[in-house]
Amino acid sequence: MSEKINIPDHYSKWESDVKIGKKDDHVTIGYWRDGCKGCGICVDVCPKQVWELIEAKDKWNGQVVQVTDASKCIKCMLCEIHCPDFCIKIY
Amino acid sequence: MAFEYEKYLRMDKIPHLWCPGCGIGVVLKAMLRSVENVGWEKNDIAFVSGIGCTSRAPGYIDCNTLHTTHGRALSFATGIKLAQPAKHVVIFSGDGDATAIGGNHFIHACRRNIDMTLVVVNNNTYGMTGGQHSPTTPIGYKASTTVYGNIDPTFDICLLAKAAGASYVARATVNKGKMLEKYITKGFEHKGFSVIVATANCHTQFGRKNKMSDPISVRKWIESREIPIEKARTMKAAELNDKIITGEFITHEEETTWWENYNHPIHEYTEAYQTIRDKAQERK
Repeated sequence: MSEKINIPDHYSKWESDVKIGKKDDHVTIGYWRDGCKGCGICVDVCPKQVWELIEAKDKWNGQVVQVTDASKCIKCMLCEIHCPDFCIKIY
Repeated sequence: MAFEYEKYLRMDKIPHLWCPGCGIGVVLKAMLRSVENVGWEKNDIAFVSGIGCTSRAPGYIDCNTLHTTHGRALSFATGIKLAQPAKHVVIFSGDGDATAIGGNHFIHACRRNIDMTLVVVNNNTYGMTGGQHSPTTPIGYKASTTVYGNIDPTFDICLLAKAAGASYVARATVNKGKMLEKYITKGFEHKGFSVIVATANCHTQFGRKNKMSDPISVRKWIESREIPIEKARTMKAAELNDKIITGEFITHEEETTWWENYNHPIHEYTEAYQTIRDKAQERK
């Protein structure tokens, strides 16, 4: 990998080899659960259903997100751009 | 490649106090990416804000920041720019802060064409104080002070800024994060007063009273009303009721027609102010 991955330790990480177009690539998705407020915008904007909502008793509306399948990711960065809480990092 | 927002943030203040799904976070991120795009040093930037939900933003940015009185952010910013013309002054303001309480300061800052960038986050309501109707609440929509529906016609902030003499005016919505980044970057690079209006979602105060109590439905509602300016030019006025026209309203970069350019600013204010300084020095 050429680019430097800089995901802090308190982030959950998912890694996978992906195919973007015809090129082989590698994706690392970092997600900060404590900072997440469970708004669900990442689930809505993702074109590939990488994210899903799960139950969490400690959040305001009882939900947080998690990655279902990192290999579906196409690195469009929509979830990273639209997360209002600085919780998602994609490399 | 992920963007390093930590570089520009006071991470001990994060998570921020905005509601879950608030559009201001998206606009703040677009602005930080724009700062990276133009390559400004953190020490050379001054972020100024007034009062309101939006105006909490400079508290989270690790630059020179100033949190001022309600609606007067532009006045303080003008002072900073005149005292230190080399600083890049960015004002982060809400719709109530910029067009209601600070409406007078807003049009006069546009008129002076001083080299600053104003980012107005328009969430159609006064979010912090309890959802009262603001000058941008659409007709027919409810707020805590218009329980039977609002009857006041709305301000179009872009057209107001254009008519008052701002030299770069653009609008994008929170659904288009990249577009926001592009316009804010252009606003930063532009010499003169630039206004970027970001239409954002407020589901907690505005949406809840209008049967859209989650962020996704307000974002969908905003998306359903978006019309690009190129398309809007060909449409009839009646069709554009309750629509959000997005795009660049005035740029002053290329050859434009008389109507586009009728209010062309004569000079940039800090340069004009410098000539006054020089004249005063000569007289001594």
